[in-house]
Amino acid sequence: MDVTGVLNQVFVGLSRTVILFIVSSGLSLILGVLRIPNVAHGSLYMIGAFMAFTLSKLFGGGDMGFWMALIGAPLAVALISLVAERGIFQYLYEREHLMLILLTFAFSLVFGDLVKIVWGGEYKSVPVPYMFQGFIPLIGGLPFPLYNLFLLVCGPIIAILLWLLVNKTKIGKIARAAAVDMEMVGAVGINVSWVFASVFVIGCLLAGLGGVLVAPTVSVTLGMDHTLIIEAFLIVIMGGLGNIWGALLGALIFGLSQSLGILIWPQFGIIFPYLAVVIVLIFRPTGLLKATW
Amino acid sequence: MRRSVLFVVFMVFVMGLVWSQSGYSANTIKVGIVDTYSGPATTYTQDALDGFKLATEQINAKGGILGKKLEYTTRDEKFKPDIGLAMAKELVLKEKVDILAGTINSGTALAVSDFAKKEKMPFFVFYSKSEKIIGEKGHKYVFNMNENTEMAGRAAAVALSKKPYVKYWIAGDDYEYGHAIADATWNNLKKMKAGVQLLGQSWWKVGEADFTPYITQILAAKPDFIIVATGGSGMVNFQKAAKATGLVQKIPFYQHTANELGTLLPQGKDAPEGVWGTSNYFFYYPETPANKAFVDDFRKAFNRYPKASALVGFMTAQFIAEGYKKAGKIDNEAFIKAIEGMSLDSPVGPLAIRACDHQLELPTYWGVTKKDPKYDFLISGDIQVIAPKDYMPTCQDVLKLRK
Repeated sequence: MDVTGVLNQVFVGLSRTVILFIVSSGLSLILGVLRIPNVAHGSLYMIGAFMAFTLSKLFGGGDMGFWMALIGAPLAVALISLVAERGIFQYLYEREHLMLILLTFAFSLVFGDLVKIVWGGEYKSVPVPYMFQGFIPLIGGLPFPLYNLFLLVCGPIIAILLWLLVNKTKIGKIARAAAVDMEMVGAVGINVSWVFASVFVIGCLLAGLGGVLVAPTVSVTLGMDHTLIIEAFLIVIMGGLGNIWGALLGALIFGLSQSLGILIWPQFGIIFPYLAVVIVLIFRPTGLLKATW
Repeated sequence: MRRSVLFVVFMVFVMGLVWSQSGYSANTIKVGIVDTYSGPATTYTQDALDGFKLATEQINAKGGILGKKLEYTTRDEKFKPDIGLAMAKELVLKEKVDILAGTINSGTALAVSDFAKKEKMPFFVFYSKSEKIIGEKGHKYVFNMNENTEMAGRAAAVALSKKPYVKYWIAGDDYEYGHAIADATWNNLKKMKAGVQLLGQSWWKVGEADFTPYITQILAAKPDFIIVATGGSGMVNFQKAAKATGLVQKIPFYQHTANELGTLLPQGKDAPEGVWGTSNYFFYYPETPANKAFVDDFRKAFNRYPKASALVGFMTAQFIAEGYKKAGKIDNEAFIKAIEGMSLDSPVGPLAIRACDHQLELPTYWGVTKKDPKYDFLISGDIQVIAPKDYMPTCQDVLKLRK
């Protein structure tokens, strides 16, 4: 195992981290502000990927199709989540966590069947846009796909946008205040209900965005939500419930422990991220960063 | 606070467990089909069912079986063996079916097979790949209508043993099917060709989204050839990653069903060229009138090309019809006797059910993915037919497993 091999795996692991971060930051945002452990978050990721398939096909499947999907699919997911929030979730914020888990779990089953009705059971594939096809040689000549490079650019942009949203905008400030004391925020005359709706929609939009970004690298299929939601929850738990930077840290640990684990022991590379979760939770049972719960 | 964290952790794992899976007139012969009709497996099960449906319509149009109409009823077992078994019981006890068929899930196939044995009812397995179905757990009432992992692995080993590769790497989905395919290929290859060596192995979890870290690691190890043991959506995911990383130009690799329509159709023209694979059916090969007629009928009825599982469903209905006709009466024991060793014309030429172990003797097609101007998806080129006699385990080998 040499230095170039390690560096390669780090780069590859980082591009995996981007998707995990985008999806789990949305999950964490909703957990932190709305206190909803949204199990259906993975379904929205899956719907994002299927939407990307449809939109990309609609616009000719090339570069244009990809960019339209990148904009359109998250918005479509946001719209679905807005309907769900206004229709159902807004009445349930005060309920027990168990009830919310059951409810969102039910939603994940409903969304799964809806996807099957709309798109059918076949595997779908979203082509990699022409401009990102192929690969560049990294250090030591090992190939690094251009699309993964694109993901590496997307990650920091989204992290910065999220930071700006949470820290610099009015809605971000209100949301943070509401997370600490919802009643007080309502008492000073702010319409908490709509703040919550906005946060929910933004969180779900991130799930949809993750779905679009992952779509060109995998087959879009029923069941892609299940693996992801478990990983996203583990990341959020590891980072600290409700803390967006915790999600970033968790995603980094998860993605890197996987890619570096493969280097150490390819046959059992699968266990390293989960091992990392166990170790983190033994030493920091409430997560690495401060949880908002 | 700490409790709520623990609670969420607990619930996540509970959900993981939950998910780890996803009476008619007497003048009919009724087949009860238990299969997975929800989740990603649908891409294969729907074709098996539609193949069965097509044959049923053709059989009834020609006057049915011994003056009776062939009918079927389906149940969705949602990829869960316990549900599948309960449904099979319900089909037998309440719906009074005459024959059981179905399932892509090996766990369900084995559970239903055990039940069929107790009920003395014929059970035709559609698309489960476990070797145990006719091997270790085989019995008089179970029939396997598709290839199993041992057969696929042996067929691949036959083809690979003629290639110059020496240094191999094994990579795959970390579940029973992945390991079974990899073991069958590698163990048989070792026997057929001296001097092959295994440099290492990579195993990833089922549903792995990104193969890039695994592929870069394998590239660094520089094997001559990779045996890739993926199944389901992993087939497509790996091919996409192999194209994005340029793996396919650097190191050749093999996947069972890599050149099959189910893997290539969803990728359209973007699938990688040069991937080696084995399959038991292509709608474009062999170019015989029988195959063409089947494909035309299937396309007319369902508006798509048939996959390998369509052939399975199509032939199962035909064997059921011809078995009863030959037996001359509706009797399970007479039916089984009639069908053992029976050979029928099929889209791929005559196919027989081997009397000793009830395995359908299917040819295997080895080939490599390539573009074709006629289709907007890739097809298999350089097709090499591996005849059943060249790759099927002998009766003796299979029956030895049953002890």
